[in-house]
Amino acid sequence: MDLRAGDSWGMLACLCTVLWHVPAVPALNRTGDPGPGPSIQKTYDLTRYLEHQLRSLAGTYLNYLGPPFNEPDFNPPRLGAETLPRATVNLEVWRSLNDKLRLTQNYEAYSHLLCYLRGLNRQAATAELRRSLAHFCTSLQGLLGSIAGVMAALGYPLPQPLPGTEPTWAPGPAHSDFLQKMDDFWLLKELQTWLWRSAKDFNRLKKKIQPPAAAVTLHLEAHGF
Amino acid sequence: MGQVQSQCKDESNQVLILQEVTILSDSHSIPGLILSGFPPEKPKNLNCIVNGAKSMMCQWDPGRETYLETNFTLKSAWATSQFADCRAKRDTPNFCLVEYVPVFFVNLVVWVEAENALGKVTSDHINFDPVDKVKPSSPRNLSVSNSEELSTILKLTWINPSVEDVIRLKYNIHYKTKDASTWSQIPPEDTVSTRSSFTVQDLKPFTEYVFRIRCMKEDGKGYWSDWSEVASGITYEDRPSKAPSFWFKINSSKTLDYRSVQLMWKTLPPFEANGKILDYEVTLTKWKSRLQNYTVNDTNLTVNLTNDRYIATLAARNLVGKSDAAVLTIPARDFQASHPVKDLKAFPKDNKLWVEWTSPSKSVKKYILEWCKLSDTSPCDPDWQQEEGTVHSTYLRGNLKESICYSITVTPVYQNGPGSPESTKAYLKQAAPSKGPTVRTKKVGKNEAVLEWDRLPVDVQNGFIRNYTIFYRSSAGNATVVNVDSSHTEYTLSSLTSDTLYMVRMAAYTDEGGKDGPEFTFTTPKFAQGEIEAIVVPVCLAILLTTLLGVLFCFNKRDLIKKHIWPNVPDPSKSHIAQWSPHAPPRHNFSSKDQMYSDGNFTDVSVVEIEANDKKPFPEDLKSLDLFKKEKNSTEGHSSGIGGSSCMSSSRPSISSNDENESSQNTASTVQYSTVVHSGYRHQVPSVQVFSRSESTQPLLDSEERPEDLQLVDSLDSGDGILPRQQYFKQNCSQPETSPDISHFERSKQVSLGGEEDFVRLKQQQISDHISQSCGSGQMKMFPEVSAVDAFSPGTEGQVERFEPVGMEAVIDEEISKSYLPQTVRQGGYMPQ
Repeated sequence: MDLRAGDSWGMLACLCTVLWHVPAVPALNRTGDPGPGPSIQKTYDLTRYLEHQLRSLAGTYLNYLGPPFNEPDFNPPRLGAETLPRATVNLEVWRSLNDKLRLTQNYEAYSHLLCYLRGLNRQAATAELRRSLAHFCTSLQGLLGSIAGVMAALGYPLPQPLPGTEPTWAPGPAHSDFLQKMDDFWLLKELQTWLWRSAKDFNRLKKKIQPPAAAVTLHLEAHGF
Repeated sequence: MGQVQSQCKDESNQVLILQEVTILSDSHSIPGLILSGFPPEKPKNLNCIVNGAKSMMCQWDPGRETYLETNFTLKSAWATSQFADCRAKRDTPNFCLVEYVPVFFVNLVVWVEAENALGKVTSDHINFDPVDKVKPSSPRNLSVSNSEELSTILKLTWINPSVEDVIRLKYNIHYKTKDASTWSQIPPEDTVSTRSSFTVQDLKPFTEYVFRIRCMKEDGKGYWSDWSEVASGITYEDRPSKAPSFWFKINSSKTLDYRSVQLMWKTLPPFEANGKILDYEVTLTKWKSRLQNYTVNDTNLTVNLTNDRYIATLAARNLVGKSDAAVLTIPARDFQASHPVKDLKAFPKDNKLWVEWTSPSKSVKKYILEWCKLSDTSPCDPDWQQEEGTVHSTYLRGNLKESICYSITVTPVYQNGPGSPESTKAYLKQAAPSKGPTVRTKKVGKNEAVLEWDRLPVDVQNGFIRNYTIFYRSSAGNATVVNVDSSHTEYTLSSLTSDTLYMVRMAAYTDEGGKDGPEFTFTTPKFAQGEIEAIVVPVCLAILLTTLLGVLFCFNKRDLIKKHIWPNVPDPSKSHIAQWSPHAPPRHNFSSKDQMYSDGNFTDVSVVEIEANDKKPFPEDLKSLDLFKKEKNSTEGHSSGIGGSSCMSSSRPSISSNDENESSQNTASTVQYSTVVHSGYRHQVPSVQVFSRSESTQPLLDSEERPEDLQLVDSLDSGDGILPRQQYFKQNCSQPETSPDISHFERSKQVSLGGEEDFVRLKQQQISDHISQSCGSGQMKMFPEVSAVDAFSPGTEGQVERFEPVGMEAVIDEEISKSYLPQTVRQGGYMPQ
């Protein structure tokens, strides 16, 4: 576009150009770009979906481990699973977490859990179980991507995995078969807990990010003019 | 290995790529093989579907045929990672079944890469959440159960597909009655959330329903599952919802005290019966009398009722309960029906026969429609149906056939009984008549013909006959078509040509077409009726008149005609030859006779030979004359001899005895005329002709008589000889048997003797008879008179002298002399003309 000073046509063209680019301004383009809201919802749905998957998977796997792991009221002490990220946290602490931290903790936890889970997959005996585990792993990977997407949408950086702390499933020689099964049990249990927590986290985030429709409109007006 | 590609543009501006493949250095190559084809087109319309939560299939439009080996690869990726490729099979390059289980709630990017030797193209990328592409499995184990409490509901239960744990579902439920062809749908808004059972309401009792169900993601994203297998169930029974249609028919009965009434009703249709009808309860109530109850399994009941008014009720009963009662008033015998429906019309519409009417002014309880097939061959066997009192039009719910005339009767039913019925006729569908009318002529005139025909029987009409067409054609070929209204049964063709053969044919038309009848031919007469009569009658009259005139003329000129045609031949019996022949010369004349006839003038003469009496005729003749005179006077001695020789009938002797009365009558009927000989006399006695009449049935002995006659004339003066002559005649034809005649003769004699006056009178009468008989010439007339008188004169004189007064005798003498004179040869006599 050719602009010259004092050219009224140029001024008009400039104005037109500005108007033309108005829809491209991110703040004004909320209707075109859904923002993090839908992806938070999706992440929430995914956690529920994973919960559902894990229920059947855990049942199958615990049966595979055999008694006493498949007994409903079996509650062994947490012995060799210290490396597993803990989902349980003080309610006050959980409430005080900000979005970024909350998302980061989720991301980190699932990253670790996924690594452990892949080890579990390698040990699985039956093809059916392996297939279920593989699908769960894929889904969990999808959850990680989902969380990363939300974080990206909200402008948070992804946590960088610390070198050397790359979680690997390295069964020690000290581990007996029972203790190994115990670790597997706790892995599944911890996964379940994390999925419950994540569901809460994303529900909270969802409510926070998706204000009522009127508020969105006001927000648009504030940003637009 | 070397590869050369060349491109050129074909006519359609598409790039045609010729690929030359090569030229491998090793021995397995196919030298000089050239393959040609197209580079792949960009795959379009890529779409994926997730079946259940198990597998994903993506399909696309691969574009035009490339004629080259082209690989289609489905690629999928998350934002952070990529999945394994899915390569489409060669024979199905338009879809690929993804190996991994898709992960819901994570957006997936999918695209297709098509690649062959000439290039590689990539489709548009599609980005979707696999959960929005789900086609759930159909719900399983659908079952239906009813409720005894509510006959209008059925409860459906099913098992949802497993994906239900992840996504929320909505449903479509279809249902229909067992026999229906189309499905009804439960309002979708009632089934928008995940559930595993549903209660369908507002169903009909005791009806079998069929159900099916399908589901999809609640938000409408994705695909509907397939329909589940159907399941059926029957709603519970309910009491009949309606009273049956109820009507009656009064059969004609012989007695006046009772009527045979047939109550009839229709079975309830299933949707009104609401269950299995066990039986019907009928009650009959006469005014102020006890109720009569009947339980009937059939659909009619015949009862004998008095002439009073009755109220009949009918209720149908099933397992659950009874229907409302249908009430019918059977009027008294003397009830006068009135208030018929108005403007009754029947017409076909939508393959049904509709009936429409205007309701009467009076409030109608219900209408009864009766109909039957009209036919000339079979009687009317009515079917019927009942309609509500508010209805003004309906269609006949029977098994109606096309081309059949139906007589439809509508009877309004009032509170106090049925009203007057009203009838009409209609066809469900008309057709052309199956037979045409047979035309014939009623009257054929010179220039016109009256045609007539019979109305077609109802069975062949197949519709309402709207008009007839008369087609007629003369032998010359002038064809004419005339349309005739259907109300006519005859038609007059005018302006016809006389004496012409006409062919006429008739067609009857309904609304749907016509049908020709057989051809009929007739010929117009040459003359009009009465024309022939006009000619013939005058002609006949003229002939008649002519004939009459002719007859009159003949009558007037009968004498002349008679003279020419049948001349009056004198009756020999009336001649008096018998009397005077004895005067003829006796035997001795025979010699002269021979002389006389020797000249051969006789041409036609019967000659009778006299055999026995040949020798002595004379003495006998003479004697007999004397005897005759004596005989007349007194006895019958001689006469018996004469009579005995007679060959004639009993009357014959009477001649010889002068019983003229009898003889004249008899001879008239039996005598044969002898030949009249005249020529013979010219020789001796010119101008005198003698006619004699034979008494015999044999030919007369003219040849012998002639001379005798001449002799006789001469010997008349002597006044005797009658008897011998007579005897002579008798002997000529004599027959041996004479005895019966003798007695008769004697009797005649006695009679003659009994009254002399009679005798004379007879003579006179005979004379006059002769006169009256002769209608010919005067001579003919006179001759018998003369002969008669001559014949009698000798005898008569004698008799008169003895028995009669002198006066009388004188009269006779005068008469004799007068009449005798002309005959004498001396005085010249008569010449026959």
